[in-house]
Amino acid sequence: MSTQDKVTIQKLPTGVQGLDEIMGGGLPEFSFNIIAGAPGSGKTTMAHQFVFANATPERPALYFTVLGESAIKMLRYQQQYTFFDHTKLPNSIRFINLSQVVLEKDLGGVLDEITREVERANPAVVVVDSFRTMVRRLPGSSGEMDMQSFIQRLALFLASWQATTFLIGEYSEDELRDNPIFTVADGLFWLRQSTERNSVVRKLQIIKLRGQAPVPGLHTFRITNDGLQAFSRTFGLVGHKRKEPGARRLSIGVPELDKMLDGGIPEGDSVLITGPSGTGKSVLATQFIAEGIQQGEPGIITVFEERPQAYTKRANSFGLDLETPQQEGKLLILYLRPLDLSVDETMHSILEAVKRIGARRLVIDSLAGFEMALSPGFREDFRESLYRMIFALTGIGVTILSTVEVDESFTEFPFSTYSISFLTDDIIRLRYVSIGDELRKMMVVIKMRGGNHSRQVREYEINSEGIVIMGEGFKGYQHLITGVPERVSRSTPAKKLLNVPKPKG
Amino acid sequence: MILSPETRELARRLLAYEAGLRTTSEPMESPAYHVCEKLRRSLSALAGVAGFQALISRALTLARAETSSLAAVKIAPDGSLEGLDQIRGENGQFDEGGSILIGQLLELLLTFIGEALTLRLIEDVWPNGAFDDRNAGKGTQA
Repeated sequence: MSTQDKVTIQKLPTGVQGLDEIMGGGLPEFSFNIIAGAPGSGKTTMAHQFVFANATPERPALYFTVLGESAIKMLRYQQQYTFFDHTKLPNSIRFINLSQVVLEKDLGGVLDEITREVERANPAVVVVDSFRTMVRRLPGSSGEMDMQSFIQRLALFLASWQATTFLIGEYSEDELRDNPIFTVADGLFWLRQSTERNSVVRKLQIIKLRGQAPVPGLHTFRITNDGLQAFSRTFGLVGHKRKEPGARRLSIGVPELDKMLDGGIPEGDSVLITGPSGTGKSVLATQFIAEGIQQGEPGIITVFEERPQAYTKRANSFGLDLETPQQEGKLLILYLRPLDLSVDETMHSILEAVKRIGARRLVIDSLAGFEMALSPGFREDFRESLYRMIFALTGIGVTILSTVEVDESFTEFPFSTYSISFLTDDIIRLRYVSIGDELRKMMVVIKMRGGNHSRQVREYEINSEGIVIMGEGFKGYQHLITGVPERVSRSTPAKKLLNVPKPKG
Repeated sequence: MILSPETRELARRLLAYEAGLRTTSEPMESPAYHVCEKLRRSLSALAGVAGFQALISRALTLARAETSSLAAVKIAPDGSLEGLDQIRGENGQFDEGGSILIGQLLELLLTFIGEALTLRLIEDVWPNGAFDDRNAGKGTQA
């Protein structure tokens, strides 16, 4: 069959931010859908968002309430959401209570009542909330069998009347398997709310959606004043062509380090700055951003451990003005709420910020803070999530610099506690070395995927200008990476001085 | 629940509007009864018969605390009111009780679903009544 012969299925907006993309463009028109989940999982709110996004006076929405939440209370609570437009009631959206019919009649009576109202209103959208309560209460009902027949007849009728339908039902996860009721549905949406230690995580899954290809997997969502907001695992970048890395080098803001990096960081790379506390990771990250702004490349700093004001103030003490570029819209410092985050949600905030200011550089300060901000369940998948995030961001041409703290050890030289070095293109390692009665700082470029970097171990200091690499370095010392170097005896071959061990990752 | 002057005024406007719909040749029925009936039909569709019954029962209890004239009024199983027609003042005019009862019902709606939705609901029942502003203090007579 040629493309011309195929029927075009219109896609309706769900009214839920992020969900259209997860569904593959929207909800198929005239589809018969079930939203399943436990109480409190957001089923009614999701249906309301769809209703408010699609109902018009010409093609209204009929919202049938059954034995469940009182309609008055439902309206009381739902109107708190920003999507709730009271002017749509009652011409575009009609709430009809079927409690009495359910109490007095059988499922056939309920179907008759729905049929009557649908024929009268010619709705574009029909919602039955909650259909599961009917089978529990209806007199003479033989349970799921009756319900299956009822749903089959209802689906047939509503499809003929060109209505897009949502049935809302309370189902536990176990009940979703092999339930014949769900075979009737064109779309099956599963909402869940799970508790992990003290955190609550909401996830949605499109178990099936006839006629189009949704993004598979579990997607996190949040319920805010705006209703549900879904965060796709593909970060809303489906269909985006990956930007090929260019040959351009970005200055990190420390001229000597640029030289060590063979001219700077390759644009579109992911760089990891790793070192113990106080070695200047954040300072270097700030210099990277400040240099970008100087070069006309807007930047974003995501912080998890301190507030933007404190971050700005600290940068100021190194002579780096972050205040002005923020006012000019060239810099955004994102402080992401350090509770129950998902990587997808974080990514959503970052991507939104990237689009808003056209950012070319991004700092994540720090990965440890990022991990701590995640819900415990998401921490288990941190590496996988980080991989998806870095891949997506570099794919749109953003150069990322992440910091990570490592415990200082005098027996090892770890680059990261996360085993994430494979995710990064370049690694710069900072550490302390004890020489005489001084604790001095050293820096070395461990890895650079796209270039021939310096293998020199360089000494640096942090002064009022930020990180400054010193000219002389550590000439005359060996075993620098142990942190307790030794003076080289005259007989030691010079090539051993800079013998950096192979990275452990 | 103490009725706000605005709600009291809205109840009076509804009663006046409903009274204006009746011709003088029709048997004299309480406008309060007709207002309650129209609200019952609309609210029963929205909240169910039981939902409306619960609301009107609460409104009646609150109204009785303000006037003794509603003592004989009863609520039928479908939520309609019995005995509202019997309420008459000394001069044969309809008693203030009906107005208080409607006011209390409106006040409950205002409490639960807010002014915007309550006025939308009233507008739906009386589309030509111009009751879209609680502070207007004037209803267009039919």
